[in-house]
Amino acid sequence: MFCSRKKSLEVERIVKANDREYNEKFLYKDNRIHTSKYSILTFLPINLFEQFQRVANAYFLFLLILQLIPEISSLTWFTTIVPLVLVVTMTAVKDATDDYFRHKSDNQVNNRQSEVLIDSKLQNEKWMNVKVGDIIKLENNQFVAADLLLLSSSEPHGLCYIETAELDGETNLKVRHALSVTSELGADISRLAKFDGIVVCEAPNNKLDKFTGVLSWNGSKHSLNNEKIILRGCVLRNTSWCFGMVIFAGPDTKLMQNSGKTKFKRTSIDRLMNTLVLWIFGFLICLGTILAIGNSIWENQVGDQFRTFLFSNEREKNSVFSGFLTFWSYIIILNTVVPISLYVSVEVIRLGHSYFINWDRKMYYSRKATPAEARTTTLNEELGQIEYVFSDKTGTLTQNIMTFKKCSINGRIYGEVCDDWGQKTDMTKKKETMGFSVSPQADRTFQFFDHHLMESIELGDPKVHEFLRLLALCHTVMSEENSAGELIYQVQSPDEGALVTAAKNLGFIFKSRTPETITIEELGTLVTYQLLAFLDFNNFRKRMSVIVRNPEGQIKLYSKGADTILFERLHPSNEDLLTLTSDHLSEFAGEGLRTLAIAYRDLDDKYFREWHKMLEDANTTTDERDERIAGLYEEIERDLMLLGATAVEDKLQDGVIETVTSLSLANIKIWVLTGDKQETAINIGYACNMLTDDMNDVFIIAGNTATEVREELRKAKENLFGRNRSFSNGHVVFEKKQSLELDSVVEETVTGDYALIINGHSLAYALESDVKNDLLELACMCKTVVCCRVTPLQKAQVVELVKKYRNAVTLAIGDGANDVSMIKSAHIGVGISGQEGLQAVLASDYSFAQFRYLQRLLLVHGRWSYVRMCKFLCYFFYKNFAFTLVHFWFGFFCGFSAQDVSDQNSMDYPQLYKPGQLNLLFNKSEFFICMAHGVYTSLALFFIPYGAFHNMAGEDGRHTADYQSFAVTTATSLVIVVSVQIALDTSYWTVINHVFIWGSIATYFSILFTMHSNDIFGIFPNQFPFVGNARHSLTQKCIWLVILLTTVASVMPVVAFRFLKVDLFPTLSDQIRQWQKAQKKARPLRTRKPQTRRSSSRRSGYAFAHQEGYGELITSGKNMRAKNPPPMSGLEKTLYNSTSWIENLCKKTTDTVSSFSQDKTVKL
Amino acid sequence: MKRKCQDYKSRLPDNTAMKQQQLPAFRLQLSANEILSGFFAIGLFCLGMGIILLLSAKSIREVEINYTEKCATCAKLREDATNFDKECNCSISFYLPQKMEGNVYLYYKLYGFYQNLYRYILSRSNIQLVGTDVKDVRNCAPFKTSDNGLPIAPCGAIANSMFNDTIVLLYNFNSSTHIRVPMVRTETAWWTDKYVKFQNPTFQNLSSAFAGTAKPPNWPKPVYELDEKDPGNNGFVNDDFIVWMRTAAFPNFKKLYRRLHRIGNFTEGLPAGSYSFIINYNFPVGRFQGQKAVVLSTLTWSGGSSLFLALAYLVTGAVTLLASFSMMAVHLKLKERKTFFLQ
Repeated sequence: MFCSRKKSLEVERIVKANDREYNEKFLYKDNRIHTSKYSILTFLPINLFEQFQRVANAYFLFLLILQLIPEISSLTWFTTIVPLVLVVTMTAVKDATDDYFRHKSDNQVNNRQSEVLIDSKLQNEKWMNVKVGDIIKLENNQFVAADLLLLSSSEPHGLCYIETAELDGETNLKVRHALSVTSELGADISRLAKFDGIVVCEAPNNKLDKFTGVLSWNGSKHSLNNEKIILRGCVLRNTSWCFGMVIFAGPDTKLMQNSGKTKFKRTSIDRLMNTLVLWIFGFLICLGTILAIGNSIWENQVGDQFRTFLFSNEREKNSVFSGFLTFWSYIIILNTVVPISLYVSVEVIRLGHSYFINWDRKMYYSRKATPAEARTTTLNEELGQIEYVFSDKTGTLTQNIMTFKKCSINGRIYGEVCDDWGQKTDMTKKKETMGFSVSPQADRTFQFFDHHLMESIELGDPKVHEFLRLLALCHTVMSEENSAGELIYQVQSPDEGALVTAAKNLGFIFKSRTPETITIEELGTLVTYQLLAFLDFNNFRKRMSVIVRNPEGQIKLYSKGADTILFERLHPSNEDLLTLTSDHLSEFAGEGLRTLAIAYRDLDDKYFREWHKMLEDANTTTDERDERIAGLYEEIERDLMLLGATAVEDKLQDGVIETVTSLSLANIKIWVLTGDKQETAINIGYACNMLTDDMNDVFIIAGNTATEVREELRKAKENLFGRNRSFSNGHVVFEKKQSLELDSVVEETVTGDYALIINGHSLAYALESDVKNDLLELACMCKTVVCCRVTPLQKAQVVELVKKYRNAVTLAIGDGANDVSMIKSAHIGVGISGQEGLQAVLASDYSFAQFRYLQRLLLVHGRWSYVRMCKFLCYFFYKNFAFTLVHFWFGFFCGFSAQDVSDQNSMDYPQLYKPGQLNLLFNKSEFFICMAHGVYTSLALFFIPYGAFHNMAGEDGRHTADYQSFAVTTATSLVIVVSVQIALDTSYWTVINHVFIWGSIATYFSILFTMHSNDIFGIFPNQFPFVGNARHSLTQKCIWLVILLTTVASVMPVVAFRFLKVDLFPTLSDQIRQWQKAQKKARPLRTRKPQTRRSSSRRSGYAFAHQEGYGELITSGKNMRAKNPPPMSGLEKTLYNSTSWIENLCKKTTDTVSSFSQDKTVKL
Repeated sequence: MKRKCQDYKSRLPDNTAMKQQQLPAFRLQLSANEILSGFFAIGLFCLGMGIILLLSAKSIREVEINYTEKCATCAKLREDATNFDKECNCSISFYLPQKMEGNVYLYYKLYGFYQNLYRYILSRSNIQLVGTDVKDVRNCAPFKTSDNGLPIAPCGAIANSMFNDTIVLLYNFNSSTHIRVPMVRTETAWWTDKYVKFQNPTFQNLSSAFAGTAKPPNWPKPVYELDEKDPGNNGFVNDDFIVWMRTAAFPNFKKLYRRLHRIGNFTEGLPAGSYSFIINYNFPVGRFQGQKAVVLSTLTWSGGSSLFLALAYLVTGAVTLLASFSMMAVHLKLKERKTFFLQ
């Protein structure tokens, strides 16, 4: 409450560097984070308050209060308070432990060290003591402590590289650059200490890709954007140090603002149980009312006189009041229908299941030594009810490793292995790897198995050489030699890394680059190419080119890019090769590989010079500069000669395809929510079989304005329904559609498979209230949904949307900090453990190391938990109905005054059965059948002893029809009946079952005899008045006859019913069981057929994790460390150039970014 | 490295059958034949049991005489509580056509007496009754203390409402000779009740043990005068008292009053002939529209008359057999379909 009020007050933030007193005025939050819920002082009140918000706890508290009223109380108060205290304590202890771990992790984060500039000195300070306005120093590979304004860095021009995997899941490096005025400060501590700029910026918010602010320093103002901000959660890479000024700290940081609120999760069974409890409570009230009315009538007719006779000296209350009191008494007595033990038992069963998950060796990942872990113990049975799975991509579906798999050079595929029968087999099956004798720098991890390629290289096939040369030349990779003399590539996109590494392994080693040259080693000889132009990548061009002059003086343009784009600009002579290559590309794409087409062009000197002049002109103009440059790029990138294509595998985690397939077979819908690019996401969709070529249609929603998105959604819907209409009677479907529009969350079956792909910007619009339903409707009819470029918060919003409007059980799985909000908002959150970051795991309910374990978690553990829980609940309700309704019947024969049949036993034995449930596996039967069954059993349990006791005398003539004997008889019958019942329900008798079933009967009798023993009576005569009862009653033959008859009468109908049910209406599991039996008899089960290969059609598998702007970085040389300072003039030139390119870069990125985010701001 | 290995090892879940949920299990899957034969067996057993019980129930001789109406004058007298000190006797004659062999038990039976009323049941003090603290009357409301503030012993509503008719059985040997049938008044209560649950306070003199306490308001005499002849049957350990204190489960109940002392003419049991009950009518049932009866009964191996149990067994047995026949029919008819399915 307080926070939000404060936040709403903060419209803009004013921070002054190095001036804590100044900043303190604004009461900004410091860098301490709290994910924990309680402190030592607040724990008790808050936790208790939360716990008593639960229906059950409140109900029992209410009962307890009733029981404290002596006129009403029919049970001693401790029968309720003991279990209630137990339950509350157990939950409290659990909450406390959870919170303790949260505190621990908070502490760990808060106590991380960072170097802070205090009193003109760099001092080590804990993260939590970092204040807004402080200047801190970061070193390579360090986590960023707060949202910083980058001031200066070790790299030239105040550049620094960050990895934002924790924020958006992308692992490619991003570049941030300081303002030139601040980057001059460098590492000069004294100057940094004097820095007193004032930043005025936006208030804390959760938009990761947007920042607006102004820095005022030395009398001038500099505008700030996202490119100058390093966010908390990023890791500094390839930058030995940088300085930054804290803008947002702790809870105000964008990372923390993006983490959704921890919600109390509960399962649908829990909710069902709550409703059932309410129903039963209503039912109780009915029973209570019946009994109360009965009591009033009885009082009126008989009781009054009888009462006066019994309690002669007492002025009697009127019958209505007596009925009123009776009502409450019965409410207390009959509360055993929903005894508190139900809740305890359910929790214990869940705990047991959680342990089974923890213990499962099949979910143990030996390579990372991580077992699966159930971090919350209350959600197990929900695992058996999942309908939607929301999955992150990077690190969850994929390993985030790119490998060069195949290539097609000049119409020939390399990397495919043919076995003796001429069939294509998987490469990995081949035993021997290539020798790579040609490459001294060969990477041992590189796996590419094709001798033909090696042969071609050795034979000097010019096309192959050109192909590899292109791979070594056309990229934005930076190289570096480490102390051991090994080449280290600094990769901005992992795809490129894979390509360059592949070239390196095949003998074309990229050695080093300067702004003007690229040096590669071609099969042992060093060759230096002059870099004439760099035609950078961007999202529209979908290609990049370099123009180089080789030592022979030839000018060549090397280009790589999306096949669709590149094929359009090929020289007509390439037609044959084009068809061949595009076949190959489709094949690659069909295998889920990421493909790039490769082409080159020979340029003649004159033409190039003219072009270059025009480019320079264009560069210097101010108006329409971008358009002109783009035009020039287009101009030169034509008449290309196709070389071939590459196929890079974004390696899926093991077993992802199988898991996805089997989950889809289980009717679980999988949605991929990723921060990655659309192409990448689609590619992965294909790679893991979520998208297939068999699909009728794939809708892509990528509009940039609200109307566009609406239009696209409408079209997609029309398409969907239109096609559907053509399948069946048009009129009917049309009507259906009409009704559908009225109530848009109605499920409708759509023939055919569809997929929906939507990107983050469109999603922002689509999540608006009026389009939301359209989106959801569309999405739910698609087999696969892929959302790309989504922010962490959007992930959560999508989950919330499905949760809210589909009433479906959702599961979110992810590995990074960007998945935390989604994990928190889904019904069940799963974290991939064993990775570096722990945020996802900490926020999750279950964690394991590999995506494929999801299959086992859901299909095995989930199903078991669910089935067992259902069975348990059924049995429990049955038992309690049987047990409690005996009171009800008894009520009719005791003047409707409340009386407990066996008050002592009642609180002891319901729990005895529950552990026996643990190893049951059967199908669910209806709650009401259980209820009816319970009612029937209670009838048998009551009326058979009633009839028998009516005129009974013991063997020695002493009377046995006293109420204590009756209680013992009924209770014993009940125990035996329910034990027989559970024995019948138990399909698998393990040691545990034997122990618990026999044990519970044994325990019952031992408790019975103990409580009825002389000794315990001697100690507590008032509490245990049943002395000698068991001894006496259970030695009577007729009592045993009664018990036997009761058992037979209550169990036989059930057996008969089940027998007939199996015969007449066999369930699916019955059928399967019998079928299996028959199969087993017939022959051993065949192993499953290996999966057939995907059919491949023409489809581009283009995907490229690349960002615009690197070309300029490279050609300007700004990101190269000045090992040998270039000549003075050059430096000046670069400096001049650099400002221009940096400005360009800033302009471009801010344009795009702000256009996205501005829209988003409004829409979110 | 070594430690790391150990760490790895320790994180690998144990491969025990329990933890991997792979305990060897016996699968209880009854075949149709087993179930059907089980049903037949149970049905036959129940039927047999029912017949045995029925026969034994038939062998029981039982005489029940409801004397609520027969002693109308006395009943009227007792309607008015102020006449509590007036004695009223009532004689009921009856004829026993057949002799009652073996042990014969004399019961009194009450109709419409709700001894299972909740407040009623609680209104007693076990601590007092076990003799620990004769003045403990905590749970005895509304009969805790007498008007002059003394704790009541035995306190509570159960004790206060004790059945206090005395029933004497006379054997009319001939029209003039009336022999009092010898009856044993002890060993009618459970052993545990008599020797564990109920104990007199330890004092040399029973009356001094109860000094400082008052008698229950409805009682004509204090508890230590229940049976002055037999100290082992006096005070709290009086059998009649103990039997009354063991509250009945249902509003209609019979409680053991006397056992036949098998001496003289009665060694074999009760001979056939004319008898009469002399009842000292004290217990007012008219006030709550109840009834009372006196019952003479013999027993069988399974105790008292269990006609209901016999019938219930018969019915259950018959139903089970019927069910098993119909189940068999259904099963046989569907067997063909099933085999088809199995293919």
